[in-house]
Order: sequence, then C-alpha cells, then structure tokens
Amino acid sequence: MAIVIFFIAAAMAVAGGIGVISFRQPIRSVLSLVVVMIALSVLFLLLSAQFIFVAQVIVYAGAVMVLFLFVIALLGPAKEIAKSRLRFQASLSALFVLALFGLLWAMLQGVTYRQPDKTVDMSIFGTVQSIGLGLFTKFLYPFELTSLLLLVAAIGAIYLSRKEGDDR
Amino acid sequence: MSGFDAGGSQLDTSWFLLLAAVLFILGTIGVLIRRNPLVILICIELMLNAANLTLVAFSRQLQNLDGQLFALMSMTVAAAEAVVGLAILVDIFRHRDVEDIDDLSELKG
Repeated sequence: MAIVIFFIAAAMAVAGGIGVISFRQPIRSVLSLVVVMIALSVLFLLLSAQFIFVAQVIVYAGAVMVLFLFVIALLGPAKEIAKSRLRFQASLSALFVLALFGLLWAMLQGVTYRQPDKTVDMSIFGTVQSIGLGLFTKFLYPFELTSLLLLVAAIGAIYLSRKEGDDR
Repeated sequence: MSGFDAGGSQLDTSWFLLLAAVLFILGTIGVLIRRNPLVILICIELMLNAANLTLVAFSRQLQNLDGQLFALMSMTVAAAEAVVGLAILVDIFRHRDVEDIDDLSELKG
C-alpha cells in the first residue's frame, strides 16, 4: 500500500516539476509547484514526518505560493520571450544537467545506508511533541536565530517594497 | 537492508533520494534555461524542496529526528529567501518591465 502511494506521489511530483519548467505563463508554473508541494507533503507523511507534513502544506503550499500568486497578480501576466540571446545556452545547460544527474545516479548505485544507532519508538517519531522537544532543547540557538532571520527578511521586504520618495 | 517499514510494506530510501535528485535536476534546468526572473525564483523553491526531501528521508532511515529539524530550518530559510527575492523583483518591475533576466546587467559595470 505504501509503495503504491509512494509511486503515485512521486509521479505527481515529477509531473509537477516538468510543468514548472515547461509552462510559458508564470502563473501555471506556480500552480504546478503547488502540485509538487502537495505530493511532497504526502511523501513526508510516508516518511513519518507528521509535523513537516503540516508545515509543508501550511507554509509552502499555503503562504509562500500565495505570495507568489499575489506578486504575479501585481505584475501582470508577463509572457516569456521564447528565444534567448545565447543560442547554445539551452543545449549546454542540458549537457551540464545530464552530467549532474549521471553523477547523482552513479552515487546511488550500490550504496549501503548506515543502520540506526538505536531503535526509537516509531509511534512518536516526528510528532509535534518530539519535534518541539528537539527544537527547544538541542536546536534552541538555531531556532532563535531563525526568528532573527525572519525579522530581517520582513524588514528587508518592507524596505524594498515601499514607494519611491516615501521617507517616513 | 536499505529501507524501512512504512505501514507494513518495505520502502527503499534510494527511491526517495532518486526522486529528490530528479526534482533537483528539474529545478536546475529551470534556473538555467528559463528567462523570467519570477520563474527562476520558483525553480529555486523546487530545488530547496528536493533538498528537504533528502533530509527527511535520511532522518527516517537513521531514525534520528535531527534531519527533520534541519528540514524545518531550511523551510524557514526558503520562506525568507522567497520574501526578499519577490520584494526585489517588485521593486525592479516598478521601474521597468523585465522580460529577460539578462536585461538586468547594470551591476556588471
């Protein structure tokens, strides 16, 4: 059952990813990315990461994608010009990307994974309690720094998006 | 044994890593060949998501929660990156219409 769910979600994710890079209108790319996000959230659930699943749906598929949609609505439906100035760039990047994929593929061949050091109770693995416990004990400093990062990003976004000559 | 049990059936960690590799590659293609700055930002989000998938997959394989916490951190960084990137784009688009990312070459000197 889990295998079937995995392959359906994986096919959805790959189809969405192809849609992101092949649609001409940006709004369709964003909607394809939402499909990828939802498929990935299902995979996170398969990997028993419940909290990451919820965060993926709310933060990514919810907030970030709505932000992208707002910006597209603000900027208008700018269609992309098909041809670029560097004619060889597409073929060159295809070659580069194929080489990168070949490297990743070769890396995955015959790899053996380290086994868990200690077996943990899988019924509480990835729940809100266990994530919160890790976040507020072992990862307390990164967590606090994250809040600083978000503050800086918010201030930067407000500063960048204010009107010209608006010095208040 | 290279997998783990998920609801009674065996899942292979390599499948998740391969899927993440495919998604990352798709994002790389998008960054390299698309011309619209907005679409390039979207493709970067796709790549970050692929990296997140590997983090969570290894977290499950090693039964260690640190990977999931890393994934949470990278989600935050991705959100901040999207916000600042979109703000810069809106600011640029306010002054002129950019169809091609290569039009933005003033900083080249």
